[in-house]
Amino acid sequence: MITYEVELAVPETVDADLAGESRTIEVDEDEYVLAAARAADVWLPADCQQGWCTTCAAELLEGEVDHSAAKRYYDVDRRADLVLLCVAKPRSDLRVLTHQQEAMLDHRAANSLPPGRSKR
Amino acid sequence: MSEDKPHASGSVEPGDTSTRVGMEVLRERGLDPEELREKLIDAIGAEFTTYYYYTNLRMHLAGHEDYKEITEDARLEDRAHFELVAPRVYELGGHLPNDIRDFADRASCPDAEVPVPSDDEGGRLRVEDLTAEQVLEVLLEAERCAIRTWSEVCDMTRDVDPRTYDMAQRILQEEIEHEAWFVELLSMERDGEINPAGHFVRGEPGDAPYSTNRRFNDSA
Repeated sequence: MITYEVELAVPETVDADLAGESRTIEVDEDEYVLAAARAADVWLPADCQQGWCTTCAAELLEGEVDHSAAKRYYDVDRRADLVLLCVAKPRSDLRVLTHQQEAMLDHRAANSLPPGRSKR
Repeated sequence: MSEDKPHASGSVEPGDTSTRVGMEVLRERGLDPEELREKLIDAIGAEFTTYYYYTNLRMHLAGHEDYKEITEDARLEDRAHFELVAPRVYELGGHLPNDIRDFADRASCPDAEVPVPSDDEGGRLRVEDLTAEQVLEVLLEAERCAIRTWSEVCDMTRDVDPRTYDMAQRILQEEIEHEAWFVELLSMERDGEINPAGHFVRGEPGDAPYSTNRRFNDSA
């Protein structure tokens, strides 16, 4: 089993205990980043946990993830470095900017994709 | 005396119908009513689409009449969840999307489609190899998504918005029961394992013992 280091950078502007801080956790290669974070007492936003609703969206600042379990994820998301932490398995050490649902919704709307196109 | 003492309305002017005290009291307590409202539209979008998809999934459980009955309970109760919370969206100054496609697009849970490909011509489902196990897996994961959604709503509203919290916790109770039903059925169907849900049968199909809204009429 390979374990990766994942740095979770929490924006200063969000209403969260770790606002403005970073926390590094260990995530196994077959583990989702969101579940690992919550298990490590880092509470990140999420809803469906099936890679659909985008509540858990984050920006991938560094590294590679496996998104194959996502129910709704597009190539344009990948190209924009937007990831869904609930279904993201690390394939390298990662650095991610958490709490990016609004950015994801804007991005989806700009590409006429759900759910952004119905919420903007 | 009454002319000297206008109605006590806080920051809302007496007679002002453009603002709702029912929303302002949430804002005063740190909950953004507009954010909650949008979350609720997403959540009941999922209940509504699930009601539709369960109708279709249930059609494909021929020969498993017990599974069909349980799926029918879950299906009708998901509609009850939609109807319980839809009024709350309006109380919070919102409305249902005019276009049902927008409603489905923004549903907070995945489409619970029959898990088979469809023919290119006419979209007819290729169900020759479809099994009850596959259908039960879709049903189970749909319930799990709903549990997560309503847990999030409970987190948002606990100690702040008793009305929405009451609705969300009622729905959550039934979604947790639904998960238990499908865990039991899938355990036996797929693994030959006894994994009891521990529940008694509903009084009538889709009884929704926790979440039934006031009926519009007897046929609802």
